[in-house]
Amino acid sequence: MTEEEKRSFFSKIVRNLQDVIYGMASHDMARQALKTRGSMEHLFILITMGDLLGVPILPPYYSLRLLPYVVPQISTWKRRMLRERDLTDALA
Amino acid sequence: MAAIVLIVAIAIVVIGYQAYAAKMDKEVIQANPKKATPATLYNDGVDFMPASGSVLFGYQFKSIAALGPIVGPIVAVQWGWLPTFLWLMLGVFFIGWVQDYASAMMAMRNDGLTMGGLAYKFISPRARGILLAFLYFYLLLIMGAFGAVVAGLLAIPVVPVGLFILTLAGVLAGQMTYRWKMDLVMTTVITVLIALIGIWLGTMPWAKNLVNSINSLAGTGPKHILYNTPYGPMTWPQFFWGIVALAFCYLGSVLAIWRFAQPVNYVSFWFVALGLLGSILGVFVAAIFKTTNVAFQIPAYVTWNQPKLGWLWPILFVTVSCGAISGWHSLVSTAGTARQLEKETDALPVGAGAMFTEAILATMALIFAATALTKGNTVLYDANHMYFLKVKAGAIWAYGMSRFLSWIPGISPSMGAAIGAIFLAVMALTVMQLVLRFMRVASAELVGDKIPAFKNPHVGTIVAILFTFLILWTAFWQRIWVLFGGANQLFAGLALLLITIWLANEGKKHGWVFWPMVFMYVTTVTALLVTAWKSFRHMMTANISAAFAFGDLVAGVIALFLALAAVILAYDGFKSLAKARAKAASHAGN
Repeated sequence: MTEEEKRSFFSKIVRNLQDVIYGMASHDMARQALKTRGSMEHLFILITMGDLLGVPILPPYYSLRLLPYVVPQISTWKRRMLRERDLTDALA
Repeated sequence: MAAIVLIVAIAIVVIGYQAYAAKMDKEVIQANPKKATPATLYNDGVDFMPASGSVLFGYQFKSIAALGPIVGPIVAVQWGWLPTFLWLMLGVFFIGWVQDYASAMMAMRNDGLTMGGLAYKFISPRARGILLAFLYFYLLLIMGAFGAVVAGLLAIPVVPVGLFILTLAGVLAGQMTYRWKMDLVMTTVITVLIALIGIWLGTMPWAKNLVNSINSLAGTGPKHILYNTPYGPMTWPQFFWGIVALAFCYLGSVLAIWRFAQPVNYVSFWFVALGLLGSILGVFVAAIFKTTNVAFQIPAYVTWNQPKLGWLWPILFVTVSCGAISGWHSLVSTAGTARQLEKETDALPVGAGAMFTEAILATMALIFAATALTKGNTVLYDANHMYFLKVKAGAIWAYGMSRFLSWIPGISPSMGAAIGAIFLAVMALTVMQLVLRFMRVASAELVGDKIPAFKNPHVGTIVAILFTFLILWTAFWQRIWVLFGGANQLFAGLALLLITIWLANEGKKHGWVFWPMVFMYVTTVTALLVTAWKSFRHMMTANISAAFAFGDLVAGVIALFLALAAVILAYDGFKSLAKARAKAASHAGN
């Protein structure tokens, strides 16, 4: 094993260890924060773009004004809103 | 002996992973690193989001390791340490990893569906409904079983002050991270130091006097006994600290996650991780330098019929709980991990790897239990009466950690016991907060339309807490633990049934899942029926107190319900399995 291979091997071990510690200590926390933000954003899109799912909440004029800002998220938003889910989704 | 047992366990785990699990992954499941996973296909940055295998290993292990692998072996050694160890090793080798890994793969290959959706798809709409009702009772049993352990831990004088300060440090961590946007490393150093000082303060005489004075508020000696049960007294400390534990869970359930539950868990994590690492090293240090006793005090085999608990089969198999196999893991694997796996090939190290690691944690608990019969003048396991557990299970773990951490300079026995007790309390409270939150959501979903009050988060949470109190204050804890273990292992049986049907539908070899499923089903349903019968029989005993009679009734009814639900699910499941096999046979014929 050359010096460079040794360095890369050990740096890989250290990186994996860091990842495991992050996974145990913080990953869940980061995921919950993202979930909270995601839910708020999706709620906002529902209020403004509800027409796309057949829920007319805001007059179309305002929806159209907001549309350019929402476009990047529409596909994932629709999938998340329409995805079948049940109580076991709430566990993780 | 302790070091030998630990080395044997590690060897079995390595062989199980390298030889059996890797073979099934390659030959039967055929995990393909190039196949798109739900995390990459549906990446919404919320539910579906790819993460590296190492991160997910940590996440999976932290999510599955709670009280089960620790308290289970501590209770089960009453039959002898060898049967407990054998079941731990055989269970994880042939069944435990199969369930965790295969349920993640099943969810991944089915668009990231969770257990409810999978039951609907592979069995029937009715199966999903029954599964969800089953789940509610299962979670209630987690609350009862874990709540009693935490109450017992909080009654230990060195624990409450330390845990209280650790909680405050956790709340501060949330504030520093999310509101003040401070650096995470700085936040970690400050809050973990505060928590460590808090644990040390908890061992000071003034703190112990404070807790002792609370413990004797209802009087000392016989006066602090509120009422007697045929299995022992309900004491004031157990009663009071049960309320405190559930108040803690209430905050975790109704406050924003970032405000309480997550940062408190984060600060606690460091104690759990470092305590565990220190204890594992402590076993080897003790074996070499004789810092504490490592000879097993409990015989390899004690009895077939443990008088207070029952027969070795089936009761030991459900008592050991999560160290061998656990239904909880299938919930984590499907709803959490499967939606984050970036590559199919990561499922093996994450799902199977975390389960095998948990078996090592359970082996540690077994070593802690088997190496001490007494603590000073206190009897832990009564050698004169079939090695009956005489103290709260949590106290055994706390004492074990205090012994095996004693090699670290500066860790006094009192400090070690406090770390051990807080370690266990935190692990239990982490799961209890999540469970209570889920029960609140479940009650809002299930009855919120008929009774709108349940849509209020406080009402749903308080109702779940009241149910928990019913169990905490009226039932014989070891029976509740057996019931919890039964529901837990039965849920694992249900997960294995779903996996079998999925594999049959895919035309893959499924005997390696089918036979463990049959074993788990027969064992757990028998255990539940035996427990129901015992509960009803005790309820009919003359001169039994009303509280305990009620506890027996609750335990019996829950056991019967779970067994009945499992039988209905098995009936529907076997019909689906027969159809899947017929379909696979006709495909093979064509």
